[in-house]
This record gives sequence, C-alpha cells and structure tokens, in this order.
Amino acid sequence: MASVWLAALALVLAGPVPSMLARARWPQRVPRAAIVLWQAIAVAAVLAAVGSALAAPEELLRALAPDQRHGTPTVVAVAIAAVLAGLIVLRLFGVLLLLAVRTRRRRARHRDMVDLLDRAERSALIGGSGTESVLRVLDGAVPFAYCVPGRAPRVVVTEAALDTLDADELRAVLAHEQAHLDARHDLVREGFVALHQAFPVLARSRQARDAVGMLLEMLADDAARARCSDTAMAGALEAFDVTGDSEVGARLARVRSRTCGSRTLATGTYLAAAAVVVVPTVAVVIPWLAVALPAAGVLR
Amino acid sequence: MALGELERAVMAQLWAAPAPLTVREVHDRLDRELAYTTVMTVLGRLAKKGVVRQERDGKAYRYTAASTREQLAASLMLDALGDVGEDRTAALVAFVDQVGPEEAAALRAALQAAPPRPSAMPEVPQPRTDGEQSGPES
Repeated sequence: MASVWLAALALVLAGPVPSMLARARWPQRVPRAAIVLWQAIAVAAVLAAVGSALAAPEELLRALAPDQRHGTPTVVAVAIAAVLAGLIVLRLFGVLLLLAVRTRRRRARHRDMVDLLDRAERSALIGGSGTESVLRVLDGAVPFAYCVPGRAPRVVVTEAALDTLDADELRAVLAHEQAHLDARHDLVREGFVALHQAFPVLARSRQARDAVGMLLEMLADDAARARCSDTAMAGALEAFDVTGDSEVGARLARVRSRTCGSRTLATGTYLAAAAVVVVPTVAVVIPWLAVALPAAGVLR
Repeated sequence: MALGELERAVMAQLWAAPAPLTVREVHDRLDRELAYTTVMTVLGRLAKKGVVRQERDGKAYRYTAASTREQLAASLMLDALGDVGEDRTAALVAFVDQVGPEEAAALRAALQAAPPRPSAMPEVPQPRTDGEQSGPES
C-alpha cells in the first residue's frame, strides 16, 4: 500500500496543491513562510514520487509466494524500480547542474558588459546611498533596475531610472535589490526554475515558479519598506509600473495597504511546511520500511 | 589603475572614434601614462570577450567596437528583462520584470539600429572561443 499512498501523495502535491496555493491570497501576507511551504511541497512531491517508485516492486514481490521471490523476477522488479527512481533524481539534478552552469556563465558575461558600460561619474555620485554592492549605471531611456547576483554582485540602474525616481524612492529600489543579493533569493528561484525545466508538463511547476518569484519580490519589498518607508516603496513601484502588470499591481496594493505579516499565520504556514514533509514520512514511509527491510533480510 | 576602469576607458575611445583604431592610436588617445603593451593587452582581452573586433590592416591590427554603446546597453536590458520567452535561467533579478510596450519597442529598435559594421551582431557579443555558449538565452 505504501507505493499507492506515495504515488497519490506525489500527484496531489504536484497538481491540485500548487494550483490552490498559487491562487490563494494569504501567502502574500507571510511571503517568507509561504516560500518555505512551497519548498516543502516541492521536496515532498519529489520524495514521494521516488519513494513510490522504490516501494512498488518490493510490495509486489512480498505479495508473491515465498518460493517465487528469487531469481529473475526479483532482479527485474528491483531494476525497474531503481531506474524509475533514478530517472526522477537524475533528471532533476542534471537540469539543476546545467542550469547552474549556464546561469553563472551568463551572469559573468553580463557583469563584464555592465562594468564596461558603467557611467562611472553617475554611479560614483549615488554610491553608498542604500547599497553595499557595487553599483552600475547604464545609459538608456528606459527606467529599469535589476541586480546581478553572485559572488561579485552588481546592482544596476539606468540613467532614466535615476531621472524618474526621487532620492527616497531610489534608496528603496537599491534596498530592494540589496535584499535580493543578501538573502541569495536567486538560489531559491533557481531551484524552482530547475524544477519547472525538469518536469514542465505533469506537475504544476510553472505556477510554483511564478508564485515563488512574486513572493521573493514581496520579500524584498518588505525589506526595503523596513529600511526606507512604505511611501518611498510605493512611489518606486508606481514609477516603474507603466504596463499595469498584475504582479506589480499586487505588490503595489500590498505596500499601499501597509500589509504586515501575522505571526499566527506565519507559524501556521511553517507548521504546514513541516507537516508536508514529516507526516508522510512517519505515516507511510517508516511503516513500509519496518516491513520491507526485515522482509528483504536487511534487519532480521 | 584597475583593469576594469582601463577597459572602460579603451572602449570609450573606440566608441568615440569614427574609424577602426590601431593600438598606437588608442594609446595616444588615452590621455594617461600607460605602456603600449598594456593597451595591447587590454585590447586583446576585449577582443576575447567579443566586444572588440580585430582586423588586419597591412602589418598592424586595427580595432573597432563590435556594437555601439546603445546597442550593448539595450541588449543588456533585454537580457535582464528575460525578453526571451519561457526558458529563463533567472540569472538576473529585475525590479519589475516588464517595461512598457513603448520602452520594449525602443530597446528592440536600438538593437536593430544600423550597426557600426555590416556584420555586427546585434546581441550581447559572445566570446569568440566559446563554441556552445548559449546566447542571451537558449
């Protein structure tokens, strides 16, 4: 039964749960806890799928008569299980590795170019106003701000952004980017991007990736609000939101209504995250191991 | 002087020049106390990065910027915007991940503006030695 339970769990965690969580509004009140919950769901879904693949042949074998258990069927069943479980794990780690290499290469390249293009006279002027990272100013008429994460991070703003933002708003934008860099939000994103690239169709991995992306922005918004002010943060978002983009709209509404976290909600979310990983382990995996290991002769 | 600053200064000269420059010309235009070989090294590094093109002119090499300042800036911003559809690598984190349609159009137009040379690549130039490098996105 363990394999059936685990397969069902994997399906639920890969499908309906992400859909519901991505639509819910309450995670926006506790972005940090909600991100942990997303991570717990992703880990639990992968583990459940792997566990199900491993448990299935063992349980089939155990259902057979004792004299049928040895020989070719055993080998075949165990091999299939190993291959299935291995495929899931290898696929995920393969994608993660490739993504990590490409991301770092692209980033290094981008950092080189940004350094070449820097309007040194302007970045020197605003240096030290709210950011510890190296600041670069690009010329161009499009107001824009971003960061290049990594071991030698850069915060980049365009001249148009400097002209659009007032001093407080600029400080809020820089604090926002610095929060991304300090907390290495890019690593969290990378995990979910990899998950989506590895399992793009079956799982609701795109919803997970996009929802986590927005929560990370909100987390950085909160850091900037704490360091600067709600007004400055709202002003900065307004200045950049020329598209009426729904994600920016949600962030703006949050800042304007001065949303602040609820400790109860955060605690509940962390507990849910722990439960998603712990409960299946205790309720399904451990009982299965307790039967399977002695049967396999590992624990007599 | 820091290498980065030197590279920036050399690029500024190449961008300002109407025609390809020799190492000697770049050296003379850089209004600093620099060894000729230093300038040569810097130009070599920039060529390796793909931002400078090297062409043979008789016995000497002449150097020119592979794309204009505006093109390079526009391509970086498009890269940061993840303007490449689905397969983002999340290498960069933008404050807002979209700009207005006019701005986006302006960026793309900047890329397509007449390149300094017919063969110029309107993209973030890639290192020349790198065979399977993925572009701004792949």
